[in-house]
Amino acid sequence: MSLTSVDSAPSQKHSGEPLLRVENLTKYFPITSGIILQREVARVHAVEDVSFSIHPGETVGLVGESGCGKSTTARLVTRLLDPTSGKITFEGRDITYTSQREMRPVRRDMQIIFQDPYASLNPRQTIGQIVGAPFRIHKTEGDTKKKVQDLMERTGLNPEHYNRYPHEFSGGQRQRIGVARALALRPKLIVCDEPVSALDVSIQAQILNLLEDLQDEFNLTYLFISHDLGVVRHVSDRIAVMYLGRVVEVAGADELYENPKHPYTAALLSAVPKEHTDSGLRERIVLQGDVPSPVDPPSGCSFHPRCPKARAVMGKSVQLTSEQAEGGQVSLEEAVARTAASEGDDTSVDLSQEVPEDCRKEVPPLGQVENEHFAACWYPLEKGEKLQQAAKA
Amino acid sequence: MADPLLEVRDLKVHFPTEDGVVKAVDGVSFRLEPGETLGVVGESGSGKSVAFLTVMGLIHRKSARVEGEVIFDGRNLLALPEDEMRHVRGNKIGMVFQDPMTSLHPYYRVGSQIAEAIRTHRDVNKDDARKQVIEMLRRVGMPRPEDRAKAYPHEFSGGMRQRAMIAMGLALNPALLIADEPTTALDVTVQAQILELIGRLQQEFNVGVVLITHDLGVVADVSKKVMVMYGGKAVEMGTRDEIFRQPLHPYTWGLLDSIPTVDKRVERLVPIKGAPPSLINRPTGCSFHPRCPHRFEPCDKDIPELKDRGGGHPDACHLSIEDKRRLWSEREQQRARAAS
Repeated sequence: MSLTSVDSAPSQKHSGEPLLRVENLTKYFPITSGIILQREVARVHAVEDVSFSIHPGETVGLVGESGCGKSTTARLVTRLLDPTSGKITFEGRDITYTSQREMRPVRRDMQIIFQDPYASLNPRQTIGQIVGAPFRIHKTEGDTKKKVQDLMERTGLNPEHYNRYPHEFSGGQRQRIGVARALALRPKLIVCDEPVSALDVSIQAQILNLLEDLQDEFNLTYLFISHDLGVVRHVSDRIAVMYLGRVVEVAGADELYENPKHPYTAALLSAVPKEHTDSGLRERIVLQGDVPSPVDPPSGCSFHPRCPKARAVMGKSVQLTSEQAEGGQVSLEEAVARTAASEGDDTSVDLSQEVPEDCRKEVPPLGQVENEHFAACWYPLEKGEKLQQAAKA
Repeated sequence: MADPLLEVRDLKVHFPTEDGVVKAVDGVSFRLEPGETLGVVGESGSGKSVAFLTVMGLIHRKSARVEGEVIFDGRNLLALPEDEMRHVRGNKIGMVFQDPMTSLHPYYRVGSQIAEAIRTHRDVNKDDARKQVIEMLRRVGMPRPEDRAKAYPHEFSGGMRQRAMIAMGLALNPALLIADEPTTALDVTVQAQILELIGRLQQEFNVGVVLITHDLGVVADVSKKVMVMYGGKAVEMGTRDEIFRQPLHPYTWGLLDSIPTVDKRVERLVPIKGAPPSLINRPTGCSFHPRCPHRFEPCDKDIPELKDRGGGHPDACHLSIEDKRRLWSEREQQRARAAS
């Protein structure tokens, strides 16, 4: 579908063949019932029809709330999970279905840094063993100890701590160990799955700066996954926003933050708590309700049950049944709240009255809205359009 | 001036351990007026949680050495016997903790857990308690509160659990609500809902709120008054505008500079060097001096007191006020250059 368009426009800085290309990637986790004869009764739609590409030297950020499929995407592209369908191309080679044995040489070029620096290091191994493991596994030649100490130095660790165990290090230092291990075989792509989320704020900046320095030094390419929108803006060249397993918007970092096109992105950005003066008015779009279950995602655009823009398009406030509102007429925000809250139950609000038909029925493709700016929305926001005003119109 | 809602004087909480005495809180003083919000920021180990667990009387008195005074409602809570303290806790002081899953009992219905809190402190029958529970759930924005009261915690999402916890915290109309990282486990859009809820309920109930968090953004968003903690001490205290516009302590500067924001992108973050101090072998003098780029002669010898040093609000740093103003404006200029 939209893949060609997304692909044809890499950011100007990084052109040429993409290092990693993901096409229509889909992952369902089956929910089974029965003890001996297991039947599949439902599926979790963890990742659905995701396409993007990453060019050499680029940092692509993947943001979204918990359960949106960003970590599953990370595990799929590194083949730690097998996709249900779709295609993953790394350096021009299709690795979607390569066996684990054939993946091994590819893994040299593709490493991952995990979120929890406590759980991702073996407590019974010394730092030397942990960081040296990639050299042993891939049977590289030369003095492993020297290489490990060199790596430790580059990542800001004291090489004399070669024989220490993980518990002797602080959280920030452990994350440095994780970085050193990922860097050991000089990979081309590093997938960073929430690398700074578990760290204190003053340490977070140290690790982010380290990752940036290493990128310059070794011409690394990052797929950077985080739920922290400030961190993602800081590190990324381009950003993809995910909601309920789908990519809903892709754009250059500054473009996305200054000119979001998808109502979900706009709501997400406005939700970030930030400094505001006593006089300054806050324009926050508070989304009501929770993210729907990925087992049974809404039809059409999966954001439509919560979308303020879709309601603004219809341009009316909503008449509720008497059971729901004693007064009958309620504000739009409240109506949206109740609709979202009653999601999945005997919904007495008829969405057909509120949301345009195409939002309910058809999945919007990730199409180009502006130059190098893609959004999967039937009614993308205009530049500078204020959602809340739109919702009240 | 009217009596403050809560006044803490020189609070110290020390835990003797085999390795030495952990000075988790080491001399914290502040006051909170009725209906006011105090944001407490600090990194892990800064003592922010322990300080307020002590205020609530949740630090085991045998395992810790507690000194100082916590004056609430005209009484020193630290001197109250446990059975009287039990009457204050939950009744006069409500609490909301970080992880709503572990704060709710998985075996009991949410409604009966809130009702239990009500019936512990008030002489009401089951039916009235149930009505109060439903009313509270409605006020915290729970849809279909009658049905939700009968649900178990696992049937709730994270945001809904936190709403239930807030309903429990406010059920008895306390004068003070202590929220320890109430939104840390939540996604940003849910966090926005909860912060808005706390702000709205605060006005509605006129309750004093202490919001403990590591997230400067959350503090900036909801608190009018801010206390910055480092190494068991308060290092700066002021209004939101003072802390964010004219911060006086190098640690506060470091925090503000090291956090990437969504509003603008800086070329490079300026991290604080090193790691937070050990609470057993605390650095001599100012706890922050080993990490401070502006340290000078007295910093490793004299412990700076938290007091107004001519900057308009209290801070604990030896630098002269002229130096502080100059250094901060230099940093601001640097940031403006980096952003352009």
